[in-house]
Amino acid sequence: MSDFLQTLLVGLLFICGSGILIVPSRRLMTGLLALQYVGVFLLVSISWPVEIAVVKLVAGWMAAAVLFLTYQNLPGSNTVDRIDVNLPGTFFKGFAALLIGISVYSLGPTAMRWFLGATHQQVLGGVWLLGLGLLQLLLIRDSLRIIIGLLTVISGFEILYATLEASVLMTGLLAILNIGFAFLGSYLLMASNLEESS
Amino acid sequence: MSTPIIWILLPFLAAGLSLFLLRYRDMLKWGGVSFSLVLVFSALILPVNETVKFLFWEVKLSEQLLIFGRRFILSGADRPIVILLFSLWLFWLLIMDPKLVPTQFIPLSLAGICLILTAYSVEPIFYGALFFAFLALIYVVLLSPPGKEPTPGVLRFLIFQILGMLFILFAAWLASWIDLNSGNQVMLARSLLILALGFSFLLSIFPFISWISMVSERNHPFLLGFIFNTYFLGVFLFGTRFILEGGWIGQDLNIQVALQIAGVIMLSFGGLMAIFSKHLGRLMGAVIIAEIGRSLLAISLFQAGFPIYFGMVILQSISLGLWSISLTLLKQGIHDLDFQSAVGAARLWPVITSGLLMGYFAMAGVPLLGGFPIYWALGSGLSFYPLWINSVFVLSTLGLVFGGLRLLAVLTKNAGEESILILGEPFYRYLILGLNVLLVLIGFLPQLIFSVTRTISDMLLGS
Repeated sequence: MSDFLQTLLVGLLFICGSGILIVPSRRLMTGLLALQYVGVFLLVSISWPVEIAVVKLVAGWMAAAVLFLTYQNLPGSNTVDRIDVNLPGTFFKGFAALLIGISVYSLGPTAMRWFLGATHQQVLGGVWLLGLGLLQLLLIRDSLRIIIGLLTVISGFEILYATLEASVLMTGLLAILNIGFAFLGSYLLMASNLEESS
Repeated sequence: MSTPIIWILLPFLAAGLSLFLLRYRDMLKWGGVSFSLVLVFSALILPVNETVKFLFWEVKLSEQLLIFGRRFILSGADRPIVILLFSLWLFWLLIMDPKLVPTQFIPLSLAGICLILTAYSVEPIFYGALFFAFLALIYVVLLSPPGKEPTPGVLRFLIFQILGMLFILFAAWLASWIDLNSGNQVMLARSLLILALGFSFLLSIFPFISWISMVSERNHPFLLGFIFNTYFLGVFLFGTRFILEGGWIGQDLNIQVALQIAGVIMLSFGGLMAIFSKHLGRLMGAVIIAEIGRSLLAISLFQAGFPIYFGMVILQSISLGLWSISLTLLKQGIHDLDFQSAVGAARLWPVITSGLLMGYFAMAGVPLLGGFPIYWALGSGLSFYPLWINSVFVLSTLGLVFGGLRLLAVLTKNAGEESILILGEPFYRYLILGLNVLLVLIGFLPQLIFSVTRTISDMLLGS
């Protein structure tokens, strides 16, 4: 994959990661998550054969689909799609995402020393997703956004880890973990509407 | 046939199937009790790696299972761990009141035990971190029963466990790098730092401690008791194996000082929290934080500390079980778990509150109760180390006892109320009395516990 294409992918990942943090609509957020997994798959495919790397895409899209279908079917989901719409808050989150972007970019050469087999773009994309996911986990208390934040963090980790190890079991377990997160998110969204068991 | 199939896959399958039977609470409970007995006895009697004649067939129970090139090993030397974990499950099932505890506790707790065993048995051991992530997912579901919103503490627990997993996986990769470049002190320091961070997340070592008090305040006390009991045991087992098998000890590293510093911080935090807590749930959190600290101190003694650590596990299980079932029953009679609401509870429900007090004081280390000889042994082991460790150990224990005395004062205060409300079924009140007696008996006959725990640690360290 050419350097230019890789750079575009990293840009896409940053936009998706920041977008997930900022957008108020749950549906848009899930769309961005699905798009983010395309970038993750393509960056992982630099280190791994495409047929193994595609597992990341399939698992990611399944996770996004599970989350999307859950709040599509939640009672009142058509009216309550937007959460925490707040202009100063959104501005603050955008500014924080930008700061993460700049600081990770400036620390890129140092981070490269830790991941010797990785390209500059893989390191940048991975650490950006880790940073943006962590920012999401720090700033937000909504269970769905926390799950998506964790998925973002794990996506970043998967890009970096793919440059270090290519184990089938690890790939499978991480894919199951992604889908597990989506099911957990879906359960947490529905839990309060379910019948009490005791 | 292999041991991982019998002790991991089959129970996991049973846990999955029993999710379809959640309506039948009592059947599920007693079915679970029978199944756990079968598992414990199978771990006691089944010969591993030996050919035995079964009816017309010759059967050999292998100790390993190969999946995608990775091995899951439960050898004969790991029997004590299998027995311990399934016995814990049996104990928690026995003391569970199906009317007061969400029924999904039974399948999810079994799945949790299986995941702990998986994390313990996988080779290379760092894969175990991933199974702790799965365990965290299951415990989040367990702590968020249907009809309840997930609490912020539960979500924080999930975040910390996932971050811990990522750090451990990354540190394990860095460790493999050190093998190639032996003597690289910078890489060694980096990987150790990341590993320490990973285990700090998993063990909730300060400053990643906040979720314990958050969940203690808001979540179901019985579910929390089980989770605190098994989760930290699982992480300690995994961590010990990680350190022993990963060759971290052979790298001229002083892990002992790090363990002792972390232990002292946790113990002092627990002691302080017990002094200032005004909530029954938070008091449970305080004692758990102190227990993590004591466990770290016990493990820092290495060979001499393992029997003490396993003694603490047994005592913690009984005390925590007693505390949890008592608090679950008491919750039926008071508005919330604030001290204010519990004023005079001992005058209304003496048996139930006796369970609370005995469970708490045993874990605090009050003389004549089960915890005292175990913590005494820990203190004796620590007496060869610097004075500040011993001072914090004693002061924190006093803090815990002070917290208990405040609880005693609150529970026995005359609130001028008379109640005819009887809480819990007679079986559970007798159970509380029985467990109270057991804690006193352990206090008088600690050698029984120590002979068991010495056998466990000898088998494990000999493996």
